[in-house]
Amino acid sequence: MAGSGKVHMRNTGNTVLSVEDLVVEFALSKKTAVQAVSGISFDLIQGETLSIVGESGCGKSTLGKAILSLLPVTSGSVMFAGSDMTKIDKEAVRNLRPQMQMIFQDPISSLDPRYTIRQLVSEPLEIWSRGSAEEQSVKVDELLNSVGIDPTIAGDRKAYEFSGGQCQRISIARSLALEPKLLICDEPVSALDVSIQAQILNLLQDMKERYGLTMVFISHDLSVVKAVSTRILVMYLGKVCEIATPDSLYDSPKHHYTHALVNSVPIPDPSKKVARVILEGEPPSPVDPPSGCRFRTRCPAATELCATEEPQLRDMGSGNYVACHHPRG
Amino acid sequence: MKFKQLGIFSKASVIWLGIVMFMVVFGQWIPLPKPTNFDIDAMGVGLFDSLKHPLGTDSNGYDLLSNVIRGARPSMLISLISVGIGGLIGSTLGIISAYKRGKLDYIVNTLFNIVLSVPALVLGLALVAVLATNPDPNIEVPTSRRVIVIILSLTIVIIPILGRIARGATLSWSNREFVVAARSMGMKDSQIIMKHIVPNVLPAIYAVAFLAIGVVIVVEGSLSLLGVGIVDGVSWGSMIARVRGDLEYAPHSMIVPVVVLALTVIACNQLGDILRSQLDSREGRL
Repeated sequence: MAGSGKVHMRNTGNTVLSVEDLVVEFALSKKTAVQAVSGISFDLIQGETLSIVGESGCGKSTLGKAILSLLPVTSGSVMFAGSDMTKIDKEAVRNLRPQMQMIFQDPISSLDPRYTIRQLVSEPLEIWSRGSAEEQSVKVDELLNSVGIDPTIAGDRKAYEFSGGQCQRISIARSLALEPKLLICDEPVSALDVSIQAQILNLLQDMKERYGLTMVFISHDLSVVKAVSTRILVMYLGKVCEIATPDSLYDSPKHHYTHALVNSVPIPDPSKKVARVILEGEPPSPVDPPSGCRFRTRCPAATELCATEEPQLRDMGSGNYVACHHPRG
Repeated sequence: MKFKQLGIFSKASVIWLGIVMFMVVFGQWIPLPKPTNFDIDAMGVGLFDSLKHPLGTDSNGYDLLSNVIRGARPSMLISLISVGIGGLIGSTLGIISAYKRGKLDYIVNTLFNIVLSVPALVLGLALVAVLATNPDPNIEVPTSRRVIVIILSLTIVIIPILGRIARGATLSWSNREFVVAARSMGMKDSQIIMKHIVPNVLPAIYAVAFLAIGVVIVVEGSLSLLGVGIVDGVSWGSMIARVRGDLEYAPHSMIVPVVVLALTVIACNQLGDILRSQLDSREGRL
């Protein structure tokens, strides 16, 4: 699996974000480096939600941070608002930041414990001097109300007085303060209770409609992703396995890895017995990835070809693109 | 944290440091025998033996109480100034290098390690020998110059101690997601350091700075004892140095400054601990 290739890119006029051949490396020593993201391409059209799924350590979060230039990019390009984020200087990137915001995995750690909720939510407005102090305070109240936090009760408390779900609401309010075009959610619900997860997902969905957001939704949980996405990108060891619409991905996963992932989603019906596909072994080390298809070491359909040649993404019809030499029927 | 909620030991420490600071500020106006006058009629008066000399006198007839009170100012000021300046320089270096990482961090950390590897006493001795000694032994080096050199050497000792604390705390805080969040909102690095790093790192620095004040008082005393500190019994350390030959027949003349010095060091440590425990409870709530 684990392909490169760009057949899935759509060159429409209203592309918000376009990532091509993105590579992010971390130096381990002077000679060796880990490629956390190796040659990922995708594009994102206005109003879409692209979900990026994959197991822990496959490079999802790195990809999210690299898109926002929060990490140094080794090669490739990230086109956003007409400029290549990887080529322009630091100040130019900073000036684009209000248009692209991020929500983090750990809601409590993403709020500084020393400041009150009101101070935290008004911070982005202060950085960019949006409006007078009064206008900012009105805006903060409005934002807090819209995420279901009562500013009169909660506004002057500190973050550690709130639960994880409440903190995530506050983070969402903060990330929307600058009215961004693009919102990257890095596992926004994985630290939360299941009952709270649904609330936050609904909130994100509401906010998306209200502010006309385009979203990248990073998650390791396929059942969470299904509800929110327009397209799903499955990653394995820094490469793309499959890009598909949720329906075709869940109904007929073409990639063997996707199949295993979809198959592992629990079904809330004990009478239904499904033949489980269980992946053998551990994901290989990204320091020394397998040749050819990176998934071949755990793939039930691997052949000689998979070891020698890296599969390219190909169009399987109905919006499904897969990087596999022997896709499932 | 309120004074009332403190334990008895902590309360005593706070009160004792209050008394010491009172001596530092108002010591010279307390109506007592002049510390520099020796009373020929009362040499080696014991503890509580005389109303005129409540803590007794040493074998030269110097009043111990007034000397201890006078000693508070140089001992405390040298310590506070060197910890203040050293702490400021050290934490600035530590915070910036840990936030920026890379080469700067490597250089600063190496420098810290080099300075830390030189014992404080050896460094003090060397600096005083080079900077505050006159080639002609008959000409006295002015006390002010000696004091400045002592402060300088103690500052150099403090910089890496507090610098490493600041560095360590910054390393852990700057990995928190709120720092990444601040960056993603477009905050400049200087603003992030001032708004999000410094306020979180400061409690750790305060706590260790108080411990350092105690350590520096002791180091300054040790330098005096070795004859490179302030001379003539001006500070607590040099009082101890002056009477060290009298331990046999006038032990109280040494015990008094030693007890005062020890109490001050213990009180500083205790105050540092109070601050640290406050820091811990704040961390615990995260």
